[in-house]
Amino acid sequence: MKAAGAHEEDPLETAAIAETKNGRPEAYEYLVSKYLKRVISVAWGIVRNADDAEDLAQEAFVRAYENIARFRTGDPFGPWIYRIVTNLSLDVVKHRSRVRQEALSDMEEGERRDRADLPAKTNEIAARIESALQSLPEMQRLVARMHLVEEFSHTEIAGMLNLNEGTVRSHLSLARRKLREQLADVYGGSYE
Amino acid sequence: MSEDRFIDRLREDARPLRFEPDAFMTTRVAARIRERIQTPATASQVLARWFRPLAASLSALALAATLGIVWIDRTSSDVQQQPTVESLSATNTIEISAAGDVYRVNP
Repeated sequence: MKAAGAHEEDPLETAAIAETKNGRPEAYEYLVSKYLKRVISVAWGIVRNADDAEDLAQEAFVRAYENIARFRTGDPFGPWIYRIVTNLSLDVVKHRSRVRQEALSDMEEGERRDRADLPAKTNEIAARIESALQSLPEMQRLVARMHLVEEFSHTEIAGMLNLNEGTVRSHLSLARRKLREQLADVYGGSYE
Repeated sequence: MSEDRFIDRLREDARPLRFEPDAFMTTRVAARIRERIQTPATASQVLARWFRPLAASLSALALAATLGIVWIDRTSSDVQQQPTVESLSATNTIEISAAGDVYRVNP
Protein backbone atom coordinates (compact mmCIF):
# COMPACT_ATOMS: atom_id res chain seq x y z
CA MET A 1 0.00 0.00 0.00
CA LYS A 2 1.32 3.42 -0.83
CA ALA A 3 1.51 5.77 2.12
CA ALA A 4 -0.86 8.69 1.89
CA GLY A 5 1.91 11.12 2.69
CA ALA A 6 4.27 9.82 -0.02
CA HIS A 7 5.77 12.58 -2.11
CA GLU A 8 4.67 13.06 -5.68
CA GLU A 9 6.14 15.85 -7.76
CA ASP A 10 3.71 18.76 -7.79
CA PRO A 11 4.75 21.59 -10.13
CA LEU A 12 2.16 23.91 -8.58
CA GLU A 13 3.66 23.32 -5.17
CA THR A 14 7.18 24.04 -6.44
CA ALA A 15 5.93 27.22 -8.11
CA ALA A 16 4.06 28.31 -4.96
CA ILE A 17 7.19 27.88 -2.85
CA ALA A 18 9.30 29.82 -5.34
CA GLU A 19 6.77 32.67 -5.52
CA THR A 20 6.41 32.81 -1.75
CA LYS A 21 10.18 33.09 -1.49
CA ASN A 22 10.02 35.96 -3.95
CA GLY A 23 7.78 37.91 -1.59
CA ARG A 24 4.30 36.97 -2.81
CA PRO A 25 2.48 35.75 0.34
CA GLU A 26 -0.70 35.03 -1.63
CA ALA A 27 1.14 32.14 -3.35
CA TYR A 28 1.44 30.49 0.08
CA GLU A 29 -2.32 29.86 0.08
CA TYR A 30 -1.87 26.95 -2.28
CA LEU A 31 0.34 25.22 0.28
CA VAL A 32 -2.11 26.01 3.09
CA SER A 33 -5.08 24.63 1.17
CA LYS A 34 -3.17 21.51 0.13
CA TYR A 35 -1.84 20.54 3.57
CA LEU A 36 -4.09 22.18 6.15
CA LYS A 37 -6.50 19.27 6.79
CA ARG A 38 -3.71 16.78 7.23
CA VAL A 39 -1.70 19.15 9.44
CA ILE A 40 -4.70 19.67 11.73
CA SER A 41 -5.23 15.91 11.83
CA VAL A 42 -1.59 15.23 12.74
CA ALA A 43 -1.75 17.83 15.52
CA TRP A 44 -5.03 16.42 16.81
CA GLY A 45 -3.57 12.91 16.86
CA ILE A 46 -0.95 14.12 19.32
CA VAL A 47 -2.73 16.73 21.44
CA ARG A 48 -6.23 15.15 21.21
CA ASN A 49 -8.00 18.46 21.35
CA ALA A 50 -9.58 20.27 18.42
CA ASP A 51 -8.93 23.82 19.64
CA ASP A 52 -5.28 23.11 20.32
CA ALA A 53 -4.93 21.33 16.98
CA GLU A 54 -6.36 24.37 15.22
CA ASP A 55 -3.95 26.75 16.96
CA LEU A 56 -0.99 24.45 16.34
CA ALA A 57 -1.76 24.12 12.64
CA GLN A 58 -1.96 27.88 12.37
CA GLU A 59 1.34 28.34 14.21
CA ALA A 60 3.04 25.66 12.11
CA PHE A 61 2.08 27.33 8.83
CA VAL A 62 3.16 30.76 10.06
CA ARG A 63 6.53 29.41 11.22
CA ALA A 64 7.03 27.61 7.92
CA TYR A 65 6.25 30.87 6.11
CA GLU A 66 8.69 32.84 8.25
CA ASN A 67 11.43 30.32 7.48
CA ILE A 68 10.56 29.70 3.84
CA ALA A 69 13.85 31.28 2.71
CA ARG A 70 15.70 28.36 4.30
CA PHE A 71 13.52 25.80 2.51
CA ARG A 72 15.10 24.27 -0.59
CA THR A 73 12.92 24.82 -3.65
CA GLY A 74 12.05 21.47 -5.21
CA ASP A 75 11.90 19.59 -1.90
CA PRO A 76 8.44 18.36 -0.85
CA PHE A 77 6.72 20.79 1.51
CA GLY A 78 4.64 18.08 3.24
CA PRO A 79 7.34 16.38 5.35
CA TRP A 80 8.60 19.79 6.47
CA ILE A 81 5.24 21.15 7.63
CA TYR A 82 4.37 17.79 9.27
CA ARG A 83 7.66 17.88 11.16
CA ILE A 84 7.01 21.43 12.35
CA VAL A 85 3.48 20.66 13.55
CA THR A 86 4.63 17.41 15.20
CA ASN A 87 7.35 19.22 17.16
CA LEU A 88 4.96 21.97 18.23
CA SER A 89 2.36 19.40 19.30
CA LEU A 90 4.90 17.36 21.27
CA ASP A 91 5.93 20.56 23.09
CA VAL A 92 2.29 21.12 24.06
CA VAL A 93 2.01 17.54 25.35
CA LYS A 94 5.22 17.92 27.35
CA HIS A 95 3.98 21.19 28.82
CA ARG A 96 0.66 19.55 29.70
CA SER A 97 2.36 16.65 31.46
CA ARG A 98 4.35 19.12 33.56
CA VAL A 99 1.16 20.97 34.46
CA ARG A 100 -0.60 17.67 35.21
CA GLN A 101 2.08 16.73 37.67
CA GLU A 102 1.46 20.00 39.45
CA ALA A 103 -2.34 19.84 39.42
CA LEU A 104 -4.08 16.46 39.31
CA SER A 105 -7.49 18.03 38.91
CA ASP A 106 -6.44 19.61 35.61
CA MET A 107 -5.57 16.18 34.27
CA GLU A 108 -9.06 14.86 34.92
CA GLU A 109 -10.57 17.86 33.19
CA GLY A 110 -8.22 17.39 30.25
CA GLU A 111 -9.12 13.75 29.86
CA ARG A 112 -12.85 14.50 29.86
CA ARG A 113 -12.26 17.06 27.13
CA ASP A 114 -10.15 14.56 25.11
CA ARG A 115 -12.94 12.02 25.13
CA ALA A 116 -15.44 14.67 24.05
CA ASP A 117 -13.28 15.47 21.03
CA LEU A 118 -13.31 11.94 19.60
CA PRO A 119 -14.59 11.96 16.02
CA ALA A 120 -18.36 11.54 16.02
CA LYS A 121 -18.36 8.80 13.39
CA THR A 122 -16.25 6.47 15.53
CA ASN A 123 -17.82 3.00 15.42
CA GLU A 124 -17.45 0.18 17.90
CA ILE A 125 -14.35 -1.43 16.35
CA ALA A 126 -12.70 1.95 15.88
CA ALA A 127 -13.45 2.72 19.53
CA ARG A 128 -11.76 -0.54 20.53
CA ILE A 129 -8.73 0.33 18.42
CA GLU A 130 -8.64 3.79 19.95
CA SER A 131 -8.74 2.34 23.44
CA ALA A 132 -5.96 -0.13 22.56
CA LEU A 133 -3.85 2.67 21.08
CA GLN A 134 -4.34 4.75 24.21
CA SER A 135 -3.03 1.92 26.38
CA LEU A 136 0.35 1.92 24.57
CA PRO A 137 3.42 3.74 25.89
CA GLU A 138 3.79 7.26 24.48
CA MET A 139 6.25 6.68 21.61
CA GLN A 140 4.61 3.43 20.52
CA ARG A 141 1.22 5.14 20.55
CA LEU A 142 2.51 8.07 18.54
CA VAL A 143 4.24 5.92 15.94
CA ALA A 144 1.35 3.46 15.68
CA ARG A 145 -1.16 6.24 15.29
CA MET A 146 0.88 7.95 12.56
CA HIS A 147 1.31 4.67 10.71
CA LEU A 148 -2.13 3.13 11.15
CA VAL A 149 -4.44 6.11 11.33
CA GLU A 150 -2.59 8.84 9.43
CA GLU A 151 -1.01 6.26 7.07
CA PHE A 152 2.47 7.78 7.05
CA SER A 153 5.38 5.62 5.92
CA HIS A 154 8.24 4.61 8.23
CA THR A 155 10.52 7.13 6.53
CA GLU A 156 8.03 9.96 6.96
CA ILE A 157 7.48 9.14 10.63
CA ALA A 158 11.24 8.98 11.19
CA GLY A 159 11.59 12.45 9.66
CA MET A 160 8.73 13.90 11.67
CA LEU A 161 9.87 12.54 15.02
CA ASN A 162 13.61 12.94 14.44
CA LEU A 163 14.19 9.22 14.89
CA ASN A 164 16.00 6.76 12.67
CA GLU A 165 13.91 4.37 10.64
CA GLY A 166 15.04 1.33 12.64
CA THR A 167 13.74 2.89 15.85
CA VAL A 168 10.40 3.64 14.19
CA ARG A 169 10.14 0.02 12.99
CA SER A 170 11.00 -1.22 16.46
CA HIS A 171 8.33 0.96 18.14
CA LEU A 172 5.83 -0.13 15.53
CA SER A 173 6.63 -3.80 15.92
CA LEU A 174 6.11 -3.63 19.69
CA ALA A 175 2.91 -1.64 19.25
CA ARG A 176 1.57 -4.11 16.68
CA ARG A 177 2.19 -7.05 18.97
CA LYS A 178 0.35 -5.36 21.85
CA LEU A 179 -2.50 -4.24 19.62
CA ARG A 180 -2.86 -7.76 18.27
CA GLU A 181 -3.06 -9.14 21.80
CA GLN A 182 -5.61 -6.58 22.89
CA LEU A 183 -7.72 -6.94 19.75
CA ALA A 184 -7.44 -10.72 19.52
CA ASP A 185 -11.21 -11.15 19.79
CA VAL A 186 -11.69 -8.88 16.75
CA TYR A 187 -8.86 -10.01 14.47
CA GLY A 188 -7.82 -13.34 15.93
CA GLY A 189 -4.59 -13.80 17.84
CA SER A 190 -2.69 -16.36 15.74
CA TYR A 191 -0.15 -15.75 12.97
CA GLU A 192 -1.26 -18.15 10.26
CA MET B 1 -4.57 -13.96 10.03
CA SER B 2 -1.22 -12.97 8.53
CA GLU B 3 0.67 -9.93 9.82
CA ASP B 4 0.13 -7.94 6.61
CA ARG B 5 -3.58 -8.75 6.54
CA PHE B 6 -3.86 -7.74 10.19
CA ILE B 7 -2.25 -4.35 9.48
CA ASP B 8 -4.43 -3.80 6.41
CA ARG B 9 -7.61 -4.52 8.35
CA LEU B 10 -6.44 -2.49 11.31
CA ARG B 11 -5.76 0.50 9.06
CA GLU B 12 -9.11 0.14 7.39
CA ASP B 13 -10.96 -0.08 10.70
CA ALA B 14 -8.91 2.75 12.23
CA ARG B 15 -9.76 5.14 9.42
CA PRO B 16 -12.70 6.71 11.33
CA LEU B 17 -10.19 7.68 14.02
CA ARG B 18 -8.55 10.14 11.69
CA PHE B 19 -9.61 13.64 12.62
CA GLU B 20 -11.33 15.29 9.68
CA PRO B 21 -11.64 19.03 10.27
CA ASP B 22 -14.84 20.48 8.88
CA ALA B 23 -15.02 23.28 6.31
CA PHE B 24 -15.61 25.91 9.01
CA MET B 25 -12.47 24.96 10.83
CA THR B 26 -10.24 24.88 7.75
CA THR B 27 -11.64 28.20 6.49
CA ARG B 28 -11.11 29.79 9.89
CA VAL B 29 -7.53 28.56 10.22
CA ALA B 30 -6.67 29.51 6.62
CA ALA B 31 -8.05 33.02 7.25
CA ARG B 32 -5.98 33.41 10.42
CA ILE B 33 -2.84 32.25 8.63
CA ARG B 34 -3.52 34.70 5.78
CA GLU B 35 -4.04 37.50 8.26
CA ARG B 36 -0.80 36.75 10.07
CA ILE B 37 1.41 36.45 7.01
CA GLN B 38 -0.04 39.36 5.07
CA THR B 39 -0.07 41.88 7.89
CA PRO B 40 2.22 44.73 6.81
CA ALA B 41 5.29 44.96 8.98
CA THR B 42 5.40 47.72 11.58
CA ALA B 43 8.08 50.40 11.45
CA SER B 44 10.06 48.71 14.20
CA GLN B 45 9.91 45.36 12.37
CA VAL B 46 11.16 46.98 9.15
CA LEU B 47 13.96 48.70 11.06
CA ALA B 48 14.85 45.47 12.83
CA ARG B 49 14.87 43.62 9.50
CA TRP B 50 17.42 46.12 8.14
CA PHE B 51 19.35 46.64 11.31
CA ARG B 52 20.01 42.98 12.17
CA PRO B 53 22.08 42.09 9.09
CA LEU B 54 23.74 45.52 9.21
CA ALA B 55 24.70 45.05 12.86
CA ALA B 56 25.95 41.54 12.12
CA SER B 57 28.08 42.79 9.21
CA LEU B 58 29.52 45.63 11.29
CA SER B 59 30.28 43.25 14.16
CA ALA B 60 32.06 40.90 11.77
CA LEU B 61 34.06 43.80 10.32
CA ALA B 62 34.98 45.07 13.79
CA LEU B 63 36.09 41.60 14.83
CA ALA B 64 38.17 41.17 11.68
CA ALA B 65 39.74 44.62 12.17
CA THR B 66 40.56 43.90 15.82
CA LEU B 67 42.15 40.56 14.95
CA GLY B 68 44.07 42.20 12.10
CA ILE B 69 45.40 44.99 14.30
CA VAL B 70 46.46 42.54 17.01
CA TRP B 71 48.20 40.37 14.43
CA ILE B 72 50.01 43.32 12.82
CA ASP B 73 50.97 44.65 16.23
CA ARG B 74 52.43 41.30 17.29
CA THR B 75 54.24 40.82 14.01
CA SER B 76 55.80 44.27 14.12
CA SER B 77 56.87 43.90 17.75
CA ASP B 78 58.48 40.57 16.84
CA VAL B 79 60.35 42.30 14.04
CA GLN B 80 61.44 45.03 16.40
CA GLN B 81 62.84 42.46 18.82
CA GLN B 82 65.15 41.00 16.11
CA PRO B 83 68.65 42.52 16.44
CA THR B 84 69.66 44.54 13.39
CA VAL B 85 73.07 45.85 12.36
CA GLU B 86 71.94 49.30 13.35
CA SER B 87 70.66 48.19 16.74
CA LEU B 88 73.78 46.20 17.45
CA SER B 89 75.98 49.05 16.44
CA ALA B 90 73.87 51.37 18.54
CA THR B 91 74.28 49.34 21.70
CA ASN B 92 77.79 47.92 21.43
CA THR B 93 81.00 49.82 21.94
CA ILE B 94 83.17 50.00 18.84
CA GLU B 95 86.80 49.16 19.38
CA ILE B 96 89.41 50.36 16.96
CA SER B 97 93.00 49.15 17.21
CA ALA B 98 95.71 51.25 15.65
CA ALA B 99 99.47 50.86 16.21
CA GLY B 100 99.00 48.72 19.31
CA ASP B 101 96.56 51.14 20.91
CA VAL B 102 92.92 50.34 21.36
CA TYR B 103 90.38 53.08 21.01
CA ARG B 104 86.82 52.61 22.18
CA VAL B 105 84.04 54.63 20.70
CA ASN B 106 80.67 54.83 22.37
CA PRO B 107 78.10 55.64 19.77
